[in-house]
Amino acid sequence: MIVAALLLAVQVIAQNPRLERLDPDTRSAVTIVVDSARGAGLPVEPLIQRALEGTSKGAAGARIVAAVRRLAADLGAARVALGTGASTPELEAGVAALRAGATPQVIAHLRDVRRPPLTIALSVLADLVASGVPADSAATAVLALAPKARDADLVEFRRAVEHDIALGAPPGAATSVRVNAGADFANSPSSPGTVPRPRRP
Amino acid sequence: MFEHDDDIVERMIRQLRRPVSLDPGLAARVMGEIAAPAHPGIGRTWPWLAAAAAVLGAVVIAHPWTRGSGTSTAAFQFVLVAPQAASVSLVGDFNDWDPARSPMRTAQGVWATVVPLAPGRYRYAFLVNGVEWRADPGAPAAKDDEFDTPSSVVTVGGRGS
Repeated sequence: MIVAALLLAVQVIAQNPRLERLDPDTRSAVTIVVDSARGAGLPVEPLIQRALEGTSKGAAGARIVAAVRRLAADLGAARVALGTGASTPELEAGVAALRAGATPQVIAHLRDVRRPPLTIALSVLADLVASGVPADSAATAVLALAPKARDADLVEFRRAVEHDIALGAPPGAATSVRVNAGADFANSPSSPGTVPRPRRP
Repeated sequence: MFEHDDDIVERMIRQLRRPVSLDPGLAARVMGEIAAPAHPGIGRTWPWLAAAAAVLGAVVIAHPWTRGSGTSTAAFQFVLVAPQAASVSLVGDFNDWDPARSPMRTAQGVWATVVPLAPGRYRYAFLVNGVEWRADPGAPAAKDDEFDTPSSVVTVGGRGS
C-alpha cells in the first residue's frame, strides 16, 4: 500500500515536476484535475500555472484545487463557445471574457465576424469590464469593431477608454464615444481594416 | 474659507483633466534609459524618468522575433516605480510564478526587467521585498483573482499554440 502510494507520488512528480512545489495532498488533487483536462483535450498549462500562482501566494490547498477545477470547467465552456479549433491563448482569453460577463452567444458571434486568432479581441472585452465598463456595453463595442479593426487598434481602443475613465468619464459613455469614432473610421473605404487613433476629448 | 478651498480643488481637477499629449517616442526613450546600466546622467534625469515610468506603468512591446519552433515571441519590458523597495521580482504565468526566475533591476527606484512572451494572455504581479504583492498600475487588473492578492494581465497577440 505504502509502496503503491510512493509510486503514485513519483509518477505525479514525473508527469508535472513543477507541481512538486505543492503539498502532497494538493498536488494529488490538482494532478487529477490536470489529467482529466488532458484527457478531454483541454490545455493543461493554464491549470498548472494557476496552481503555481496559488502556492506562490500562500493559498490554502483547498483553495488552489478549487481554483484549478473552476478554471478547467471554464476552459471547457470557452472551447464550446469558440470551437474545437481554438488555440490555448484563445481559450484563456475566452475564459476571461466569460468570467467578465460575456455570454457564450457573444463569443460565438465574435467568432463569426472576426478571423482568428481572437485572443486580443476577447481580452479587450474582458479588460474593458475590469475597467468598469458594463459587460453588455463592452461586448457591443468589441463586436462593432471586431470585423475590421486590427489587434493593435483594439488595444489602442481599450487604452483610450481607460484613459477617458481615468479622467472621470462614465465607463459606458466613454466606450460608446470611442467605439463610434472607431466605427466611423473602420467604415471608410480608403482605410480598410484600421481604426483611427482616437482623439483625446 | 471653504469656498476658497473648493475653488482650489476645482482648479486642480481642471488641470488634472486637461488632455495630455505625449511624444510618441517617449516610451522608447524611457525604456532605453532604464535599460542602460550605470547611466552617467541618471541622477540628473531621475525626476523625469520616474514621472514618465509612473505614467507608463509596465509593459512596453519591444522587439518581436521568432523562436526555433516558429512561435512568434515579443520582448516585453515590465516597470515598477518602488523607490523604497529593497527587491522586486516579476512573477506570473510566464515564469511558473517563481520569484527567483525574474528578479528586477533598479535604477534609482525604477525597477525593470524584460521577458520574452509568446502569444497568450498572462496573469502576473510584482513581489516587493519578498512579501508584498502588487499589481501593475499601468496594466489591466485581473478581476478573477481567487487568492486575495492583486494581479494584472498582459495579452500578446498573434497565433499561439
